[in-house]
Amino acid sequence: MIQMVGTGLLCGALLGFVLQRGRFCLTGGFRDLYLTKNTRMFNALLLAIAIQAVGVYALIHFDLLVYEAGTYSFVAVALGSFIFGIGIILAGGCATGTWYRAAEGLVGSWIALIFYMLTSAMMKTGAFKPIHDALQSMQVRDNSIARTFGVNVWVLIIFFIGVVALILVKEARKPKIFIPQLKPKKTGIAHLLFEKRWSTYVTASLIGVIAILAWVFSEASGRMSGLGITTPSANIVQYAVTGDVQYINWGVFLVLGLLIGSYIAAKGSGEFRLRVPDPKTIVSSLCGGVLMGFGASLAGGCTIGNGLVQTAMFSWQGWISLGFIILGVWTATYFVFVRPTIKKTAQQPTVAQTN
Amino acid sequence: MVKVLETAGQVCPFPLVEAKAALETLTSGEELEIRFDCTQGTDSIPRWAAEEGHTVTNFEQVGDAAWTITVQKK
Repeated sequence: MIQMVGTGLLCGALLGFVLQRGRFCLTGGFRDLYLTKNTRMFNALLLAIAIQAVGVYALIHFDLLVYEAGTYSFVAVALGSFIFGIGIILAGGCATGTWYRAAEGLVGSWIALIFYMLTSAMMKTGAFKPIHDALQSMQVRDNSIARTFGVNVWVLIIFFIGVVALILVKEARKPKIFIPQLKPKKTGIAHLLFEKRWSTYVTASLIGVIAILAWVFSEASGRMSGLGITTPSANIVQYAVTGDVQYINWGVFLVLGLLIGSYIAAKGSGEFRLRVPDPKTIVSSLCGGVLMGFGASLAGGCTIGNGLVQTAMFSWQGWISLGFIILGVWTATYFVFVRPTIKKTAQQPTVAQTN
Repeated sequence: MVKVLETAGQVCPFPLVEAKAALETLTSGEELEIRFDCTQGTDSIPRWAAEEGHTVTNFEQVGDAAWTITVQKK
Protein backbone atom coordinates (compact mmCIF):
# COMPACT_ATOMS: atom_id res chain seq x y z
CA MET A 1 0.00 0.00 0.00
CA ILE A 2 2.72 2.47 1.03
CA GLN A 3 4.74 1.45 -2.02
CA MET A 4 1.70 1.99 -4.30
CA VAL A 5 1.05 5.46 -2.84
CA GLY A 6 4.73 6.41 -2.97
CA THR A 7 5.58 5.22 -6.50
CA GLY A 8 2.26 6.46 -7.89
CA LEU A 9 2.69 9.96 -6.45
CA LEU A 10 6.37 10.03 -7.50
CA CYS A 11 5.71 8.94 -11.07
CA GLY A 12 2.79 11.35 -11.39
CA ALA A 13 4.78 14.23 -9.91
CA LEU A 14 7.68 13.62 -12.31
CA LEU A 15 5.27 13.52 -15.24
CA GLY A 16 3.43 16.64 -14.11
CA PHE A 17 6.67 18.53 -13.62
CA VAL A 18 8.04 17.56 -17.03
CA LEU A 19 4.76 18.31 -18.84
CA GLN A 20 4.46 21.76 -17.25
CA ARG A 21 8.07 22.82 -17.75
CA GLY A 22 8.29 21.27 -21.22
CA ARG A 23 5.03 22.94 -22.29
CA PHE A 24 4.06 19.52 -23.58
CA CYS A 25 0.59 20.02 -25.02
CA LEU A 26 -0.65 17.34 -27.40
CA THR A 27 -3.90 19.18 -28.06
CA GLY A 28 -1.86 22.14 -29.28
CA GLY A 29 0.38 19.76 -31.21
CA PHE A 30 -2.50 18.09 -33.08
CA ARG A 31 -4.19 21.46 -33.64
CA ASP A 32 -1.01 23.02 -35.07
CA LEU A 33 -0.56 20.17 -37.55
CA TYR A 34 -3.59 21.73 -39.23
CA LEU A 35 -3.56 25.38 -38.10
CA THR A 36 0.11 26.27 -38.66
CA LYS A 37 1.38 23.07 -40.39
CA ASN A 38 3.80 22.67 -37.47
CA THR A 39 4.83 19.03 -36.81
CA ARG A 40 7.22 19.58 -33.86
CA MET A 41 4.93 18.37 -31.06
CA PHE A 42 3.64 15.45 -33.13
CA ASN A 43 7.23 14.36 -33.90
CA ALA A 44 8.00 14.62 -30.20
CA LEU A 45 5.07 12.32 -29.43
CA LEU A 46 6.43 9.76 -31.92
CA LEU A 47 9.82 9.92 -30.18
CA ALA A 48 8.21 9.31 -26.76
CA ILE A 49 6.27 6.35 -28.23
CA ALA A 50 9.48 4.85 -29.71
CA ILE A 51 11.44 5.13 -26.43
CA GLN A 52 8.60 3.59 -24.45
CA ALA A 53 8.08 0.76 -26.98
CA VAL A 54 11.75 -0.29 -26.82
CA GLY A 55 11.86 -0.12 -23.00
CA VAL A 56 8.60 -1.89 -22.33
CA TYR A 57 9.04 -4.65 -24.93
CA ALA A 58 12.60 -5.26 -23.69
CA LEU A 59 11.21 -5.73 -20.15
CA ILE A 60 8.49 -8.02 -21.53
CA HIS A 61 11.16 -9.98 -23.45
CA PHE A 62 13.06 -10.62 -20.21
CA ASP A 63 9.80 -11.59 -18.43
CA LEU A 64 9.95 -8.53 -16.19
CA LEU A 65 6.58 -7.24 -17.36
CA VAL A 66 3.35 -8.91 -18.46
CA TYR A 67 1.25 -7.54 -21.30
CA GLU A 68 -1.66 -8.94 -23.29
CA ALA A 69 -3.22 -6.84 -26.04
CA GLY A 70 -6.69 -8.43 -25.71
CA THR A 71 -9.49 -7.21 -27.96
CA TYR A 72 -10.94 -3.87 -29.02
CA SER A 73 -14.09 -2.53 -30.66
CA PHE A 74 -13.44 -0.44 -33.77
CA VAL A 75 -16.72 1.47 -33.44
CA ALA A 76 -16.13 2.38 -29.79
CA VAL A 77 -12.48 3.39 -30.30
CA ALA A 78 -13.10 5.44 -33.47
CA LEU A 79 -16.26 7.19 -32.27
CA GLY A 80 -14.97 7.77 -28.74
CA SER A 81 -11.64 9.17 -29.94
CA PHE A 82 -13.32 11.53 -32.42
CA ILE A 83 -15.61 12.89 -29.68
CA PHE A 84 -12.63 13.17 -27.32
CA GLY A 85 -10.71 15.13 -30.00
CA ILE A 86 -13.54 17.68 -30.23
CA GLY A 87 -13.71 17.87 -26.44
CA ILE A 88 -10.03 18.67 -25.92
CA ILE A 89 -10.21 21.67 -28.27
CA LEU A 90 -13.25 23.03 -26.40
CA ALA A 91 -11.59 22.36 -23.04
CA GLY A 92 -8.28 23.91 -24.16
CA GLY A 93 -6.20 20.83 -23.34
CA CYS A 94 -6.29 17.04 -23.32
CA ALA A 95 -6.96 15.04 -20.16
CA THR A 96 -3.37 15.30 -18.93
CA GLY A 97 -3.13 18.90 -20.15
CA THR A 98 -6.28 19.74 -18.20
CA TRP A 99 -4.80 18.18 -15.03
CA TYR A 100 -1.62 20.26 -15.32
CA ARG A 101 -3.36 23.47 -16.31
CA ALA A 102 -5.65 23.01 -13.31
CA ALA A 103 -2.44 23.04 -11.24
CA GLU A 104 -1.38 26.34 -12.91
CA GLY A 105 -4.50 27.91 -11.36
CA LEU A 106 -6.70 28.00 -14.47
CA VAL A 107 -10.24 27.78 -13.12
CA GLY A 108 -11.52 26.92 -16.62
CA SER A 109 -9.44 23.74 -16.47
CA TRP A 110 -10.90 22.91 -13.03
CA ILE A 111 -14.35 23.01 -14.59
CA ALA A 112 -13.29 20.87 -17.56
CA LEU A 113 -11.56 18.44 -15.20
CA ILE A 114 -14.55 18.05 -12.87
CA PHE A 115 -16.92 17.33 -15.76
CA TYR A 116 -14.41 15.01 -17.44
CA MET A 117 -14.03 12.98 -14.23
CA LEU A 118 -17.79 12.91 -13.63
CA THR A 119 -18.71 11.82 -17.18
CA SER A 120 -15.99 9.15 -17.17
CA ALA A 121 -17.43 7.70 -13.95
CA MET A 122 -20.96 7.86 -15.43
CA MET A 123 -19.72 5.88 -18.46
CA LYS A 124 -17.95 3.25 -16.40
CA THR A 125 -20.42 2.53 -13.59
CA GLY A 126 -23.21 5.08 -13.90
CA ALA A 127 -26.13 6.17 -16.05
CA PHE A 128 -24.20 5.98 -19.34
CA LYS A 129 -22.92 2.44 -18.71
CA PRO A 130 -25.48 0.81 -21.10
CA ILE A 131 -24.26 3.06 -23.98
CA HIS A 132 -20.65 2.31 -23.09
CA ASP A 133 -21.23 -1.46 -22.93
CA ALA A 134 -23.35 -1.61 -26.09
CA LEU A 135 -20.78 0.24 -28.23
CA GLN A 136 -17.79 -1.56 -26.75
CA SER A 137 -19.30 -4.94 -27.63
CA MET A 138 -19.66 -4.03 -31.34
CA GLN A 139 -17.18 -5.43 -33.90
CA VAL A 140 -14.75 -6.81 -31.33
CA ARG A 141 -11.43 -7.85 -32.90
CA ASP A 142 -7.92 -8.88 -31.89
CA ASN A 143 -6.06 -5.81 -30.64
CA SER A 144 -2.51 -6.87 -31.53
CA ILE A 145 -1.17 -5.46 -34.82
CA ALA A 146 1.70 -7.96 -34.76
CA ARG A 147 -0.69 -10.94 -34.45
CA THR A 148 -2.95 -9.59 -37.21
CA PHE A 149 0.00 -9.48 -39.64
CA GLY A 150 1.61 -12.62 -38.19
CA VAL A 151 4.92 -10.89 -37.46
CA ASN A 152 7.07 -10.50 -34.37
CA VAL A 153 6.31 -7.21 -32.60
CA TRP A 154 10.02 -6.25 -32.87
CA VAL A 155 9.58 -6.02 -36.66
CA LEU A 156 7.03 -3.26 -36.07
CA ILE A 157 9.19 -1.57 -33.43
CA ILE A 158 12.29 -1.53 -35.63
CA PHE A 159 10.31 -0.24 -38.61
CA PHE A 160 8.82 2.48 -36.40
CA ILE A 161 12.23 3.47 -34.99
CA GLY A 162 13.45 3.81 -38.58
CA VAL A 163 10.60 6.19 -39.40
CA VAL A 164 11.17 8.26 -36.25
CA ALA A 165 14.93 8.42 -36.90
CA LEU A 166 14.32 9.68 -40.45
CA ILE A 167 11.98 12.40 -39.17
CA LEU A 168 14.43 13.50 -36.46
CA VAL A 169 17.37 13.64 -38.88
CA LYS A 170 15.27 15.73 -41.26
CA GLU A 171 14.34 18.06 -38.37
CA ALA A 172 17.97 18.35 -37.23
CA ARG A 173 19.04 19.40 -40.73
CA LYS A 174 16.64 22.33 -40.80
CA PRO A 175 18.46 25.65 -40.32
CA LYS A 176 18.51 26.66 -36.65
CA ILE A 177 16.76 29.88 -35.79
CA PHE A 178 17.39 31.87 -32.64
CA ILE A 179 14.32 32.02 -30.45
CA PRO A 180 14.34 34.94 -28.01
CA GLN A 181 14.38 33.85 -24.36
CA LEU A 182 13.35 35.58 -21.16
CA LYS A 183 16.18 37.32 -19.34
CA PRO A 184 17.45 34.78 -16.78
CA LYS A 185 16.79 35.77 -13.16
CA LYS A 186 17.89 32.44 -11.67
CA THR A 187 21.15 30.51 -11.89
CA GLY A 188 22.36 26.90 -11.81
CA ILE A 189 19.87 24.15 -11.05
CA ALA A 190 17.05 26.61 -10.31
CA HIS A 191 17.48 28.14 -13.77
CA LEU A 192 17.48 24.71 -15.40
CA LEU A 193 14.42 23.44 -13.53
CA PHE A 194 12.30 26.55 -13.10
CA GLU A 195 13.20 28.99 -15.84
CA LYS A 196 15.01 27.67 -18.90
CA ARG A 197 13.02 26.75 -22.00
CA TRP A 198 13.06 22.96 -22.32
CA SER A 199 13.61 21.44 -25.74
CA THR A 200 10.49 19.63 -26.93
CA TYR A 201 12.57 16.57 -27.84
CA VAL A 202 14.30 16.41 -24.43
CA THR A 203 10.86 16.69 -22.83
CA ALA A 204 9.51 13.90 -25.05
CA SER A 205 12.47 11.64 -24.16
CA LEU A 206 11.84 12.20 -20.45
CA ILE A 207 8.16 11.37 -20.95
CA GLY A 208 9.16 8.15 -22.75
CA VAL A 209 11.33 7.15 -19.76
CA ILE A 210 8.60 8.05 -17.23
CA ALA A 211 6.15 5.93 -19.28
CA ILE A 212 8.50 2.92 -18.90
CA LEU A 213 8.85 3.56 -15.15
CA ALA A 214 5.05 3.71 -14.91
CA TRP A 215 4.71 0.17 -16.31
CA VAL A 216 7.22 -1.16 -13.77
CA PHE A 217 5.72 0.62 -10.74
CA SER A 218 2.13 0.00 -11.76
CA GLU A 219 2.57 -3.73 -12.37
CA ALA A 220 4.47 -4.05 -9.05
CA SER A 221 1.29 -2.76 -7.37
CA GLY A 222 -0.90 -5.23 -9.26
CA ARG A 223 -2.27 -2.84 -11.89
CA MET A 224 -1.32 -4.44 -15.22
CA SER A 225 -0.91 -1.36 -17.42
CA GLY A 226 1.17 1.76 -17.89
CA LEU A 227 0.35 5.46 -17.74
CA GLY A 228 -3.37 6.09 -17.76
CA ILE A 229 -5.46 9.13 -16.93
CA THR A 230 -9.12 8.49 -17.70
CA THR A 231 -9.85 5.38 -15.61
CA PRO A 232 -7.97 6.75 -12.56
CA SER A 233 -9.80 10.09 -12.94
CA ALA A 234 -13.11 8.19 -12.95
CA ASN A 235 -11.92 6.05 -10.02
CA ILE A 236 -11.53 9.17 -7.86
CA VAL A 237 -15.20 10.08 -8.41
CA GLN A 238 -16.32 6.45 -7.97
CA TYR A 239 -14.44 6.23 -4.68
CA ALA A 240 -15.64 9.66 -3.57
CA VAL A 241 -19.31 8.78 -3.95
CA THR A 242 -19.25 5.12 -2.86
CA GLY A 243 -16.41 5.00 -0.33
CA ASP A 244 -15.51 1.64 -1.91
CA VAL A 245 -11.73 1.09 -1.68
CA GLN A 246 -11.73 -1.25 -4.72
CA TYR A 247 -11.56 1.95 -6.80
CA ILE A 248 -8.25 2.96 -5.22
CA ASN A 249 -5.27 1.80 -7.30
CA TRP A 250 -1.85 2.95 -8.51
CA GLY A 251 -3.42 5.12 -11.23
CA VAL A 252 -5.31 7.22 -8.68
CA PHE A 253 -2.02 8.22 -7.04
CA LEU A 254 -0.49 8.81 -10.47
CA VAL A 255 -3.06 11.49 -11.35
CA LEU A 256 -2.89 13.04 -7.87
CA GLY A 257 0.90 13.15 -8.24
CA LEU A 258 0.43 14.81 -11.63
CA LEU A 259 -1.44 17.64 -9.94
CA ILE A 260 1.28 18.01 -7.25
CA GLY A 261 4.20 17.87 -9.70
CA SER A 262 2.75 20.43 -12.08
CA TYR A 263 1.82 22.70 -9.17
CA ILE A 264 5.43 22.60 -7.90
CA ALA A 265 6.69 23.34 -11.42
CA ALA A 266 4.26 26.22 -11.94
CA LYS A 267 4.69 27.73 -8.45
CA GLY A 268 8.49 27.41 -8.61
CA SER A 269 8.66 29.30 -11.89
CA GLY A 270 6.17 32.02 -10.97
CA GLU A 271 3.58 30.62 -13.34
CA PHE A 272 0.84 29.87 -10.84
CA ARG A 273 -2.02 32.33 -10.54
CA LEU A 274 -5.74 31.78 -10.06
CA ARG A 275 -7.37 32.85 -13.31
CA VAL A 276 -11.13 32.91 -13.77
CA PRO A 277 -12.25 32.77 -17.41
CA ASP A 278 -15.07 34.70 -19.06
CA PRO A 279 -18.54 33.07 -19.24
CA LYS A 280 -18.04 31.91 -22.84
CA THR A 281 -14.84 30.02 -21.91
CA ILE A 282 -16.59 28.51 -18.87
CA VAL A 283 -19.36 27.06 -21.07
CA SER A 284 -16.79 25.84 -23.59
CA SER A 285 -14.66 24.19 -20.87
CA LEU A 286 -17.73 22.52 -19.39
CA CYS A 287 -18.87 21.09 -22.75
CA GLY A 288 -15.28 20.05 -23.51
CA GLY A 289 -15.01 18.20 -20.20
CA VAL A 290 -18.24 16.28 -20.84
CA LEU A 291 -17.16 15.25 -24.38
CA MET A 292 -13.69 14.27 -23.09
CA GLY A 293 -15.08 11.99 -20.38
CA PHE A 294 -17.64 10.42 -22.71
CA GLY A 295 -15.16 9.98 -25.59
CA ALA A 296 -12.14 8.75 -23.63
CA SER A 297 -14.18 6.19 -21.69
CA LEU A 298 -15.73 4.87 -24.90
CA ALA A 299 -12.34 4.71 -26.64
CA GLY A 300 -10.65 3.10 -23.64
CA GLY A 301 -8.12 5.90 -23.26
CA CYS A 302 -7.13 9.50 -23.85
CA THR A 303 -4.11 11.08 -25.56
CA ILE A 304 -1.93 9.36 -22.94
CA GLY A 305 -3.62 5.97 -22.44
CA ASN A 306 -4.22 5.43 -26.15
CA GLY A 307 -2.08 8.04 -27.91
CA LEU A 308 1.13 7.42 -25.98
CA VAL A 309 0.83 4.02 -24.27
CA GLN A 310 -1.36 1.82 -26.52
CA THR A 311 0.50 3.11 -29.59
CA ALA A 312 3.82 2.03 -28.00
CA MET A 313 2.32 -1.42 -27.39
CA PHE A 314 1.46 -1.52 -31.12
CA SER A 315 -2.20 -2.22 -30.52
CA TRP A 316 -4.89 -1.34 -33.07
CA GLN A 317 -6.70 0.56 -30.32
CA GLY A 318 -3.74 2.92 -29.87
CA TRP A 319 -3.19 3.84 -33.53
CA ILE A 320 -6.88 3.98 -34.52
CA SER A 321 -7.50 6.16 -31.50
CA LEU A 322 -4.60 8.50 -32.31
CA GLY A 323 -5.90 8.92 -35.87
CA PHE A 324 -9.47 9.68 -34.79
CA ILE A 325 -8.40 12.02 -31.95
CA ILE A 326 -6.50 14.04 -34.56
CA LEU A 327 -9.55 14.05 -36.87
CA GLY A 328 -11.71 15.26 -33.97
CA VAL A 329 -9.18 17.97 -33.11
CA TRP A 330 -9.06 19.18 -36.73
CA THR A 331 -12.85 19.25 -37.00
CA ALA A 332 -13.18 21.33 -33.83
CA THR A 333 -10.22 23.52 -34.87
CA TYR A 334 -12.03 24.40 -38.07
CA PHE A 335 -15.15 25.54 -36.20
CA VAL A 336 -13.35 27.23 -33.29
CA PHE A 337 -10.33 28.88 -34.95
CA VAL A 338 -10.44 28.70 -38.75
CA ARG A 339 -14.02 29.66 -39.61
CA PRO A 340 -14.21 32.65 -37.21
CA THR A 341 -10.96 34.01 -38.73
CA ILE A 342 -12.32 33.69 -42.27
CA LYS A 343 -15.45 35.56 -41.19
CA LYS A 344 -13.43 38.27 -39.44
CA THR A 345 -10.85 38.96 -42.17
CA ALA A 346 -12.76 42.02 -43.40
CA GLN A 347 -12.89 43.49 -39.88
CA GLN A 348 -9.99 45.16 -38.13
CA PRO A 349 -8.80 43.46 -34.94
CA THR A 350 -9.36 45.49 -31.79
CA VAL A 351 -6.01 47.04 -30.95
CA ALA A 352 -5.59 49.76 -28.36
CA GLN A 353 -3.11 52.50 -29.18
CA THR A 354 -0.63 54.16 -26.85
CA ASN A 355 2.18 56.63 -27.50
CA MET B 1 4.80 54.04 -31.91
CA VAL B 2 3.94 50.85 -30.06
CA LYS B 3 0.54 49.27 -30.38
CA VAL B 4 -0.58 47.32 -27.32
CA LEU B 5 -2.55 44.10 -27.55
CA GLU B 6 -3.99 42.95 -24.24
CA THR B 7 -4.79 39.21 -24.26
CA ALA B 8 -4.66 38.44 -20.53
CA GLY B 9 -7.36 35.96 -19.60
CA GLN B 10 -7.29 34.25 -22.98
CA VAL B 11 -6.09 30.67 -23.24
CA CYS B 12 -3.75 29.42 -25.93
CA PRO B 13 -3.72 29.69 -28.89
CA PHE B 14 -5.89 32.85 -28.84
CA PRO B 15 -3.09 35.27 -27.81
CA LEU B 16 -1.00 34.08 -30.77
CA VAL B 17 -3.97 34.12 -33.16
CA GLU B 18 -4.76 37.71 -32.13
CA ALA B 19 -1.12 38.77 -32.26
CA LYS B 20 -0.85 37.54 -35.84
CA ALA B 21 -4.00 39.43 -36.83
CA ALA B 22 -2.85 42.60 -35.06
CA LEU B 23 0.60 42.52 -36.67
CA GLU B 24 -1.07 42.33 -40.10
CA THR B 25 -2.39 45.87 -39.55
CA LEU B 26 1.08 47.31 -38.84
CA THR B 27 3.65 48.51 -41.35
CA SER B 28 7.28 47.42 -41.43
CA GLY B 29 9.31 48.73 -38.46
CA GLU B 30 6.27 49.35 -36.27
CA GLU B 31 6.10 47.56 -32.94
CA LEU B 32 3.40 45.49 -31.28
CA GLU B 33 3.41 44.80 -27.55
CA ILE B 34 1.52 41.64 -26.63
CA ARG B 35 0.53 41.12 -23.00
CA PHE B 36 -0.47 37.57 -22.19
CA ASP B 37 -0.91 35.15 -19.29
CA CYS B 38 -1.09 31.75 -20.95
CA THR B 39 2.02 29.73 -20.14
CA GLN B 40 2.32 28.10 -23.56
CA GLY B 41 2.60 31.57 -25.08
CA THR B 42 6.09 31.95 -23.59
CA ASP B 43 7.17 29.36 -26.13
CA SER B 44 4.76 29.81 -29.04
CA ILE B 45 4.85 33.62 -29.38
CA PRO B 46 8.67 34.16 -29.52
CA ARG B 47 8.94 31.05 -31.72
CA TRP B 48 6.38 32.46 -34.16
CA ALA B 49 8.15 35.85 -34.22
CA ALA B 50 11.55 34.22 -34.84
CA GLU B 51 10.24 31.92 -37.55
CA GLU B 52 8.50 34.81 -39.34
CA GLY B 53 11.66 36.93 -39.14
CA HIS B 54 10.27 39.69 -36.90
CA THR B 55 12.52 41.19 -34.21
CA VAL B 56 11.71 40.72 -30.53
CA THR B 57 12.72 44.00 -28.86
CA ASN B 58 11.50 43.12 -25.36
CA PHE B 59 10.38 39.93 -23.62
CA GLU B 60 9.88 39.73 -19.89
CA GLN B 61 7.84 38.26 -17.11
CA VAL B 62 5.99 41.08 -15.36
CA GLY B 63 4.39 39.07 -12.55
CA ASP B 64 3.03 35.65 -11.58
CA ALA B 65 1.91 34.07 -14.85
CA ALA B 66 2.03 37.40 -16.69
CA TRP B 67 4.30 38.26 -19.56
CA THR B 68 4.91 40.99 -22.10
CA ILE B 69 6.63 40.68 -25.44
CA THR B 70 7.27 43.39 -28.02
CA VAL B 71 7.62 42.40 -31.65
CA GLN B 72 8.91 44.72 -34.35
CA LYS B 73 7.49 43.91 -37.77
CA LYS B 74 10.08 43.00 -40.37
